[in-house]
Amino acid sequence: MKIAVVGKGGSGKTTTSAVLARTLARRGGDVVALDCDTNPNLGISLGVGDLETERLSTLREQLDEGEAEHAPTWHEILDRFGTDAPDGVRLGVVTRIENPEPG
Amino acid sequence: MKVAFVGKGGSGKSTIAGTFARLLARTGEPVLALDSDPLPGLPYALGIEVDDTPIPDDAVVEGPEDGARWVLAPGLDPELVIERYAPIGPDGVRYLQFGNTSGHISTIQKAQFAWSETVAGVDTDRWHLVGDLPGGTRQAMFGWAKYADHVLLVVEPTAKSLHSARRLLRLSEAVFAPETFSVVANKVQDDEDVDRIAARLNRPVEIAIPLSPETLAGDRQGQAPLDADPEGTFVGAVESLVGSLLDMYALDPKGAK
Repeated sequence: MKIAVVGKGGSGKTTTSAVLARTLARRGGDVVALDCDTNPNLGISLGVGDLETERLSTLREQLDEGEAEHAPTWHEILDRFGTDAPDGVRLGVVTRIENPEPG
Repeated sequence: MKVAFVGKGGSGKSTIAGTFARLLARTGEPVLALDSDPLPGLPYALGIEVDDTPIPDDAVVEGPEDGARWVLAPGLDPELVIERYAPIGPDGVRYLQFGNTSGHISTIQKAQFAWSETVAGVDTDRWHLVGDLPGGTRQAMFGWAKYADHVLLVVEPTAKSLHSARRLLRLSEAVFAPETFSVVANKVQDDEDVDRIAARLNRPVEIAIPLSPETLAGDRQGQAPLDADPEGTFVGAVESLVGSLLDMYALDPKGAK
């Protein structure tokens, strides 16, 4: 399954996403948790801690600022822009291409 | 004064900003409340009935080739935009927003240009500006708080709110000098909450606003704190914040401590 959690700021999206991800993982699923928020905090709710959450956020900033190369496949994205969270969840921060090149 | 409220989603920016704008207006000087959130929450705190009053598309025309894409139409200037398109709320506060995103973000693009030109050109000797930014770090760092010379960072005593606040402080260093930032602690339950925020951000807390059941109840009813609980602790704390900002500006018109 592929689930997206949306809502107003402060409504509990991040907390809900984290509990969903870890619960699914505990039931035996392979779970990838993607933080698409411009202010990525999912790591904190998953339990990877402040420092690791910030490290992932900084990685994404480097990507956004063109200081780092994007990964060509999603496996590599999760490898390079991800981290292991409790219960076997793999957390990745993702970004969108702001100004795609033509073609 | 020209202030902008920033912080994580749900930290209480709109509720504080709206109350702040109304209390400031009660001193007798004109206040323009600015909302750059495409999902605006400020009207609730201002006590304004409407929640979608965009500047109409015909307020702008195509701009010059080397300038902004859209510019205010001939005959329109910032004062006229406010006069025509910023509704008046309780206590006389004017409310200027660029509209709700009912569909794709591009549907409010013209209104966004009109909003920006109005805010950049408004007579700040006449108006106090009180702005509310969308939650998170993106808009704050993309120059949407440029009009402000003092930024109020709203933070809750939770890990995620503090984490966002640290990120905002770090990212803002390039744009705002540290002395033009004040920390507003919201939804605090005890002194320990306030101490934790100050320690984690390594900055003093300008004002601590207690968690107030009355304000929460008003929130459920869609009532502004000033109407739901005018004598309550929330309003009292925001009143003190208005007072300290007025003092700050009396000492330095640039809004620095």
